[in-house]
Amino acid sequence: MISLIGFSGLILSFIFNVIVIVSYYYKINQRFNHIFYLALYCSLFFMCLSFFALMFAYISSDFSNFNVFQNSHSSKPLLYKITGTWGNHEGSMLLWLLIMSLYNVFFSFNITLEDHVRKLTIVFQSFLYLCFSLFVILTSNPFLVNSIDSNEGLGLNPILQDPALAIHPPVLYIGYVGFSLILSLALAGLILNQLDNLWIQVIKRWAMFCWLMLTGGIALGSYWAYYELGWGGWWFWDPVENVSLMPWITGLALVHSLMITKQEQLLKRWVVFLSILCFSLSILGTFLVRSGILTSVHSFAADASRGIFILILFLTITGFSFIIFILKSPHSNKQINLLFINKTSALIINNIVMLIACITILLGTIYPIIIEVLTNKRMSVGAPYYNSTVLPILLPGFLIMSIAPMLSWQSNKLDKIKNYIYILIVTSILTLLITYLTKFNIWGFTGTILGLWIIAASLLSILHNCLKYKFKKFFIYNNALIAHMGVGIMIIGITFSSIFQTKNNFTIQTGEIVNSGQYSLQLKNLKIEEKNNFQELLGIFLLHKKNEFLTTIKSSKRYYYVSKVITTEAGIYHDWFQDFYLVLGNEKNNKWSITIYHNPLVSFIWIGVMIMIFSGMVGIFKR
Amino acid sequence: MTIRFQRLLLILFSLIFLSSAILLILFNSKKNLVFFFTPSELINSDSTINDVVRIGGFVEKDSIINKGNNSYNFVITDNNNKVLVEYNGLLPDLFKEEQGVVIEGRLKSDFTIHAFTVFAKHDENYMPASIQKQLQKNQYWKKNYK
Repeated sequence: MISLIGFSGLILSFIFNVIVIVSYYYKINQRFNHIFYLALYCSLFFMCLSFFALMFAYISSDFSNFNVFQNSHSSKPLLYKITGTWGNHEGSMLLWLLIMSLYNVFFSFNITLEDHVRKLTIVFQSFLYLCFSLFVILTSNPFLVNSIDSNEGLGLNPILQDPALAIHPPVLYIGYVGFSLILSLALAGLILNQLDNLWIQVIKRWAMFCWLMLTGGIALGSYWAYYELGWGGWWFWDPVENVSLMPWITGLALVHSLMITKQEQLLKRWVVFLSILCFSLSILGTFLVRSGILTSVHSFAADASRGIFILILFLTITGFSFIIFILKSPHSNKQINLLFINKTSALIINNIVMLIACITILLGTIYPIIIEVLTNKRMSVGAPYYNSTVLPILLPGFLIMSIAPMLSWQSNKLDKIKNYIYILIVTSILTLLITYLTKFNIWGFTGTILGLWIIAASLLSILHNCLKYKFKKFFIYNNALIAHMGVGIMIIGITFSSIFQTKNNFTIQTGEIVNSGQYSLQLKNLKIEEKNNFQELLGIFLLHKKNEFLTTIKSSKRYYYVSKVITTEAGIYHDWFQDFYLVLGNEKNNKWSITIYHNPLVSFIWIGVMIMIFSGMVGIFKR
Repeated sequence: MTIRFQRLLLILFSLIFLSSAILLILFNSKKNLVFFFTPSELINSDSTINDVVRIGGFVEKDSIINKGNNSYNFVITDNNNKVLVEYNGLLPDLFKEEQGVVIEGRLKSDFTIHAFTVFAKHDENYMPASIQKQLQKNQYWKKNYK
């Protein structure tokens, strides 16, 4: 029953989107104007109906629905029943549609844009919605009826039963799918030749919002990987991570390019190009992940027909967009006045750097596919490739970032350059001294110094602004600089946590103490706890620093009854400056093997991301 | 500086940057690509000692030896050929006898690998499609793995 309601909602929503597009072509009559918006709202309503029908089926454990049967179990906690809705391929595509529809309706409330641009954007968005709706209906219908009469489901993958992963997909999708609206806006602006100030103002806000959500989504995912996988790291250059990073980088370039366009009314073609690229890469990523072409730790049930469908969608949407781009792209009559030593050219160079980094990641991701098709040999491109290509490519970008605050917007003059140079030299000497006295590592040194330069230059710039404007509208004048400080903090966190990470293996008995540096760890006791849907073996450890008690760390293994899978829950002791990360291994003769990772400054990564998101939000709301 | 000259500089800069990026990619891809074999393919391949490879297959029954202090030896098989793996570290939760496994490591001799990573998978159905095909050929594929 509930499946029927859900499926009808899906179909009705499809039909109403067709009505949106059709009524646009009969726009002469004012009455159709009414229908246009009415159909838009109806389509959202039925989409919501469809989505909540599926969610209801999950909450009420309605195993007559095949999707629920495959991915849920009645003993699951309520939270994971709800989030199980998008914990599988079909449900997540339904979430994709819901978000697309939501974007369309929220965008229709926009009053800044001229009426005809807004309407055409809505039409494009509806068209994109139709494409993906067709994909869901034909190849990944979540409302199939279960042919077996069953009282119990097969259960959700235990590793997905985690709070961070529960909200990770929606946040990520709000970013990922949001780029569809950016594409629609770009196409509408192109066709109507209305790439004016208003258009830039509008697209800037939406692009910023999508990009921030994508940032948040990626950060959540990587935080999850950090504490759930038990590998001590937070980024593995897994194909799925890479495909989310590609639209993120182009989105980053887009958000920054829109800054210059605001200042100088230039580079519209470039902005449109990036807008198209962002969503194209989003679809390409979906194709690579969902078709099963790439093997990754995120395994979605792979199905060849889905892959072909998404590939066709990708080719159609990207092809269409780029053809319109070539035919209609505006010819600027004003020359780009680069002048070379100003913010505009710094941003352009940074854009080039970002795109090259993006291409490098793309190459690494699809290279194994190409090789397998051509030579029938299989290979994998792992972290060493990315670390030794992407990082050096990004270096000049970070360098420019650290000197950017001293450049001016319009002129070639360097503002108050002496102060900046002093502060850069002071930080360099300090870092050099400190690294010389401790372990010297070239990458560690480079990362630290770049991070510090960016922070120092941004701080000085904020200081100049404060002297000039006297704290009036502090966040509004300084939000970009604050975001850059976030990046600096993040770079330091990344550098320290990846280069100065230490890993120690021990075997330990109850009551025994092991020493690692100035820290000592004691296994207090082990106990078994019964939970609703799993059994947990809990190891309780006491952490001491020079005989001074610090904290208890709980590290555990869980055995999930339904899927008969064991998962590891790393025990983490967070400190502002370091994390103790403890993984419980196997037992032999009453001795437990454990691995302890000591991750310095890893919290800086999350703090940096939060600062970036915060100042980005300020950027959206500022006038 | 004329605008034309600036443009030229910009193009020149991007070209230099692009070519250095390409050089970087080519140089690194040669060094960092890791081939992916089943035990039989490894034996037929032209890999030499000290090469880094990935091996996919099944853990042979009764082959896991816990040497203590987190050191393990085990055998990966595809029903035709076998490879001995030495590993120091925590084994992933899904690591079991007669289960699929993928390892990455350095070849110590023709049939011995010192593994640095044993891959933990999100679920036991996971096995790269291509390896699965190879194993099916050797009739060493259990249907319930999907």
